[in-house]
Amino acid sequence: MKQKEYLHDNYLSERWLQFCAGDKNAFGDLVDHNFTSLYHYGTRFSPDKGLIKDCIQDLFLEIWEKREKLDHIISIKPYLFQSLRNNLIARLKKQSRFSDLSANEELVSNDSSPELIWITDETEALNSSRLTNGIELLPKRQREALYLKYYEDLSHEEIAAIMGLQRQAVANYLHYGILKLREYWKYKTILLTMIIDFII
Amino acid sequence: MNNYKNFEVRDWIDDPGFRKWVYKGEQNSFWLSILENTPSQAENIEQARDILRMVRGELDDVSEEELASRKSKLLDYISQEAQTRSWWRGRWFQAAAVLLLTLGFAGYYWKHTSTTPYNAVLSLSGNVAITEVVNTDEKVKLVTLPDGSSVILKKEARISYPDVFSADKREVVMLGEAFFEVQKNPDKPFYIHSGEMVTKVTGTSFSIKANAAEKQVQLVVKTGVVEISVKNSGKESKTNHLTLNPNQLVTLNRESNALEKRNVAEPVLINLPIESQYFTFKKTPVKDVFRTLELAYGVHINFDKQITSECNITARLGDEPIREKLEMICDVLNARFEMKNNAISVYSDGCEK
Repeated sequence: MKQKEYLHDNYLSERWLQFCAGDKNAFGDLVDHNFTSLYHYGTRFSPDKGLIKDCIQDLFLEIWEKREKLDHIISIKPYLFQSLRNNLIARLKKQSRFSDLSANEELVSNDSSPELIWITDETEALNSSRLTNGIELLPKRQREALYLKYYEDLSHEEIAAIMGLQRQAVANYLHYGILKLREYWKYKTILLTMIIDFII
Repeated sequence: MNNYKNFEVRDWIDDPGFRKWVYKGEQNSFWLSILENTPSQAENIEQARDILRMVRGELDDVSEEELASRKSKLLDYISQEAQTRSWWRGRWFQAAAVLLLTLGFAGYYWKHTSTTPYNAVLSLSGNVAITEVVNTDEKVKLVTLPDGSSVILKKEARISYPDVFSADKREVVMLGEAFFEVQKNPDKPFYIHSGEMVTKVTGTSFSIKANAAEKQVQLVVKTGVVEISVKNSGKESKTNHLTLNPNQLVTLNRESNALEKRNVAEPVLINLPIESQYFTFKKTPVKDVFRTLELAYGVHINFDKQITSECNITARLGDEPIREKLEMICDVLNARFEMKNNAISVYSDGCEK
């Protein structure tokens, strides 16, 4: 199992170097291997599927254009994730300037600080009908760190690089994130009853 | 196996193998046996599994077809570096799903009418690399051919051409709706293959409507003279060979291979402004002239509005390709221009009052 994964990684980094050298087939493989996971990661930021897919397309065109300068990159997936994240956040901020803020408030607050953008209002989450999933109760950045760690199997260092955080901050997000989800799980039934009461 | 007995919820969550089972169903029988053999862990496992699912959330999958089509779009795009990149940008991929459907249908019809791909004619004529440009954008797309001719592609139109034309003729293959301004060169006739129709021109402008899914191919001439013939018709008869003059429209019925010619008041076929535009300017401010060109060709022209604010243009431009038009304008302005990937920059020192 481990061996297979290792070979797989080896193969991918070889393909990456071929892509950097201008190999179009290797570029195609890169798209095949990463499109879906990039898309899934993108859905953490916005429900606008078209926008996310556009950003991914742009990302691939971007890296094709600067392929010659990318041969130093070893952690391919974290690199792609980080680039998509930056592009998406920039795009969403730009969009929020041109569109009705109230329609987008779940995505982007009108506060210009990028740190604040991803912190959700807990009361908003409480009002959301998707409350059945406890993850909605966590701040967005905490959710994102959890997703990268547990679903994408990335290391603390890689997550720190992607999200532009200190390693310790990632560790904290993960620790408290799991703690909250466990609490949520334990008191799910009680919590749900309370909320139903609250809404009614 | 024993150590699982003392596992905490967090240990389960942190176990990569366990996560692979939850997320991807890997080694299912192994994990089911653990579940069976350590009943004391059942609640912990359930909790860990629920938490991992919460962390993942709902994932909307990308279908294989969509992935394949997006990949081939990207590959298409990077294969034609010399062409008009900026026009492909923006939200061009939004049309992808629709495009796929149309092309799929078009391809289907094509298969039944011809056994070779639409641009196979070109591959027969030597080893020269062939460039294909497809306009997936809502906006029109300008393609400048190796000889300087301009082709304006409407949405979903495509054109294939060799990177170097052969010594005695210029040949291109197109599908969809397009407007051509062919660089004049009587020594090197220009041939357009669109479905079964072959158009021969020396220097002229006209529109073609050759949608693969439609039963007819149409062409209307704006300026110059155009010769039309039909291939695959078995025997060459008089009806499938004719000459067209300006404001004449020809329709090729792809089933009967019959050509029909008629006169039209305006050479309008595919609803592009350029079809009926004659680019006549009378003391027109240069910014308006450039705006007209931008709209007609779907290009972007950069110029200093401040410096050129005093410049007016009086000219009657015709069916020249865009490059020639720009040369004429720049002559008047005492300016020079650069054209790169459909982004045009005009450098002028301004005009006297």
